[in-house]
Amino acid sequence: MIHEFTKGLFKENPIFVIALGLCPALAVSTQVVNALGMGAGVIFVLLGSNIFVSLLKDFIPEKVRIPAYIVIIASFVTIVDLVMQAYAPSLSRSLGVFVQLIVVNCIILGRAEAFANKNTLGSSVLDALGMGIGFTLALLLIAFIREVFGAGTITLFAFGSFDGVIEIPGLSESPARVIGLATGAMLVMGYLQALFNWMGTRRAGKPGSTAQDGAGGAAA
Amino acid sequence: MKIPSLVVIGGKLALICTVAAVILGLVNAVTAPVIVENQAKALARGLAVIADQSGVPGAQVGEASTISDSTVVQTAYPITGTDGAAVGFILQLVGVGYGGDMQLLAGYYPTGELFSAQMMENQETPGLGKKAEAPEYMEMFIGSGADAPIPTSKSDLPAGQADAITGATITFIGVARALADGSGLARELEGPATGGAQ
Repeated sequence: MIHEFTKGLFKENPIFVIALGLCPALAVSTQVVNALGMGAGVIFVLLGSNIFVSLLKDFIPEKVRIPAYIVIIASFVTIVDLVMQAYAPSLSRSLGVFVQLIVVNCIILGRAEAFANKNTLGSSVLDALGMGIGFTLALLLIAFIREVFGAGTITLFAFGSFDGVIEIPGLSESPARVIGLATGAMLVMGYLQALFNWMGTRRAGKPGSTAQDGAGGAAA
Repeated sequence: MKIPSLVVIGGKLALICTVAAVILGLVNAVTAPVIVENQAKALARGLAVIADQSGVPGAQVGEASTISDSTVVQTAYPITGTDGAAVGFILQLVGVGYGGDMQLLAGYYPTGELFSAQMMENQETPGLGKKAEAPEYMEMFIGSGADAPIPTSKSDLPAGQADAITGATITFIGVARALADGSGLARELEGPATGGAQ
């Protein structure tokens, strides 16, 4: 059962292997703090929607399952949005419209349709946590590379006298701005996907592995 | 498909929607007052910061006046010194950015010169248009509006500042045009009595 959790971290990583949720991933990965906020939001919505879809899978009629899933997902996204506006207004301002756009993040609907409506509650919870954490780690990696090279900074949450911004000597004065722009997002994403493909292919080539082990996401 | 099965399917979907609506209503009831309070605090903080930057010690922000004849300027707050003399105005402006409307607070002297500005609520892209929220972003506009016009295109800016707005030109134009309109209106307003305001 632990496989349901671990598969989302690497073998079926939502961003690098399954290639779902790329639009918000590219859009918000300009700062590390955005990746943390977006990741937390996606984990919460994914967990909530997987739990409810799994619990209601026998109640929801087959013909209207997609509208029903969308209602469940949109409800959780709205809850995240309202709670962030009320209790984390600076993070809400920072993420802007991308919080509302979690509702159209393909990972959420994809896991509801491909996993939660066919599996038990326990498996669905582990799947949501694995996929959500895998999405967050991937987003953090992209954001870290883009912010360090594109802006020469690492932006975290501000607390006390710490303003949340770590400036990297040398890079902060003359960053490679293109890495912070849309073009840089595509480049970083492309290189990281190539790295994950290569690692998956290497794993598939090991004795005792099957090709499907290495390209589990594509098969899924 | 038979009518009874349609009713069952529609009924189940309606039930899910109803439960979702009730839950969202409860969440909204809890969070709405906090959100309104946050917005009021953010506005009060913004007004205080801008009044401080007018350069007049102890400058006070007066009562808000609604501006009815402008689509860009929503509200005007007169600023007065400790002796009651008019210092200028803080205007609440609406600019059009990449993600829709952007709320701005801008402080002007009666000559139309901008002395401070802050981006408030907006839906600009994180890491690009959102950079306009940083206080240093507004430095490219500060001091203009009276003798020198407020820069409203990339070509009006020095090379270093033009680079800084790369990737967020629409945000820059939205902010610049709103600030320029505000500057024009600040020149028309006659004093704390707010001629032109209602």
